[in-house]
Amino acid sequence: MSDALEPKSHRWGSTSLELPIVPTPPPEGREVLLRIRDLHRRFGPRHILRGISLDIYRGETLVILGGSGSGKTTLLRHLMAMLRPEDGSIMVRGLTGGDFELGEATESQIEQYRRNLGVVFQGAALLNSLTVLENVGLPLIEVDRLPVAQVRERVVEALRRVYLPAEEILGLKPAALSGGMRKRVGIARAIIQQPRVILYDEPTTGLDPVTVNGVNELTLDLQRKLGVTSIVITHDMNAAFMIADRIALLYKGRIVALGDKDETRANPHPVLQQMLTGSTTGPLTEGFGP
Amino acid sequence: MERIRTKHTAADVVTRSHAAKAAERTGGELMKQARNAGRTVLLFVDTCAQLPNTRRILPQLMRQIEMAGFGSIVVLALIAGLTGMIMAMQTGFELKKMGLQENLGAIIGATFLREMGPIWCAIITLARVGAAIAAEIGTMAVNEEVDALRVMSINPVRYLVLPRVLALVIAMPLLTAIADFVGLAGGALVSQAMFDVTIAKFKESAILLLNGPDFWYGIFKSGVFACIIGTIACDRGLNTSDGAEGVGRATTSTVVLCVVFVLVSDFILNAFIQAVLRPIFG
Repeated sequence: MSDALEPKSHRWGSTSLELPIVPTPPPEGREVLLRIRDLHRRFGPRHILRGISLDIYRGETLVILGGSGSGKTTLLRHLMAMLRPEDGSIMVRGLTGGDFELGEATESQIEQYRRNLGVVFQGAALLNSLTVLENVGLPLIEVDRLPVAQVRERVVEALRRVYLPAEEILGLKPAALSGGMRKRVGIARAIIQQPRVILYDEPTTGLDPVTVNGVNELTLDLQRKLGVTSIVITHDMNAAFMIADRIALLYKGRIVALGDKDETRANPHPVLQQMLTGSTTGPLTEGFGP
Repeated sequence: MERIRTKHTAADVVTRSHAAKAAERTGGELMKQARNAGRTVLLFVDTCAQLPNTRRILPQLMRQIEMAGFGSIVVLALIAGLTGMIMAMQTGFELKKMGLQENLGAIIGATFLREMGPIWCAIITLARVGAAIAAEIGTMAVNEEVDALRVMSINPVRYLVLPRVLALVIAMPLLTAIADFVGLAGGALVSQAMFDVTIAKFKESAILLLNGPDFWYGIFKSGVFACIIGTIACDRGLNTSDGAEGVGRATTSTVVLCVVFVLVSDFILNAFIQAVLRPIFG
């Protein structure tokens, strides 16, 4: 956030609000899949990520909450290996054989990493010139180079998994689908290569309540059935409490709260409380508004 | 006196500060343009490196050739035909005064094969296809579709850039040949109708001045223009940000940059053809 947009003073005391949590050793039986340490990112004068430290466990659903401009999408882009850490590290453990650091990874390591990664984009990011079949099957056609019949079979299976009428929509272009259907097709594309990690970027934004519930149930369903690790970036509190194993709060480029659902509810952090209550008075809105 | 001196000093400071800011802005802009140019050159190199994958992009290539080539034929033919007719009319009156109207074929032929054919083709293509490529890829970039490709380990240069650049490299020389033919035909028709120069005489006059390589030099130039237009349009598209406004900016800058670089490269290519190719091939 630029200085001009920075609230001038904090009734809540900015130092304690922005105090990052210190990562603790993983509980027994939990295995760290992604270890983020002191991650920093600047865009020109704007310091977006200001020392993120976080462990993501294998098989869990971690929800990362945060207000607008808190650095959620920038963090996600690091996890997608679209941005390399400026300072700090993201260690990938046991996903593609050996451990490696994303910032120092070779092209082939990144490719291997991404083959284990499915991403559900905010607007689904389907290619408008392609049909649903081509969109969902794109990685199988372009990367795995599977024969057409096999691609079709896998696409139908993926679409059924996200509760879509596969045969009816295979030949349709994304423009002919509703927002909820597009999102589901995006999820189908994300799981088509059977990834071990799925990243969701605000999966329920702009959807009606029924579709939101459907997408949340689908996220839970996929996690249970496929055993994937899910990292969900959102500012939808209901969705967070519905699907999360753990919830992390990102505020001004730092993780300032982390815990399971009960711990999160009980956490007195003013930012978290403001997000929980949806109040217009609090640190997130201080210095702005009428 | 002291007050006046102080006043002057303050004015000087303000002027200097404005000048410094202007210089800083200009320098910054130049650096940005230099970086963009470097990035575009690297994209072209990257695209060439993807050429061995051409077989994998055949369906997209066909679709792009159809869009770039067939879609431009009518408008290009219309413009080339009219240009040939206007040139014949304008030149014909002057030549007729001197009794030299039989040289119309040579003049229009040389102008079209060497310059007007490739340039008209480039202008139509950059305005119609280049802008469309920048807008299409730019929209994909702001909708995160390009990111989605990268995350799926699909190289956007192979998947998006190579088919578009290659389609232009294939389509533009063909369009140039069509523009040459239609332009000459338009010129010949007006020459016959208005200046009594028969089509056979028009053709004979053109052949007297032109030789085989003239046609091929024009085709060669349009191939180079295709690389420039395709690469600039794709680069601008891939680096689009800031939503719809960014797409608009990418499209406008594609057209402006393509016009400038097509003309600059035309000048350089003409010098190269005259100095290097003509002594060898004639």
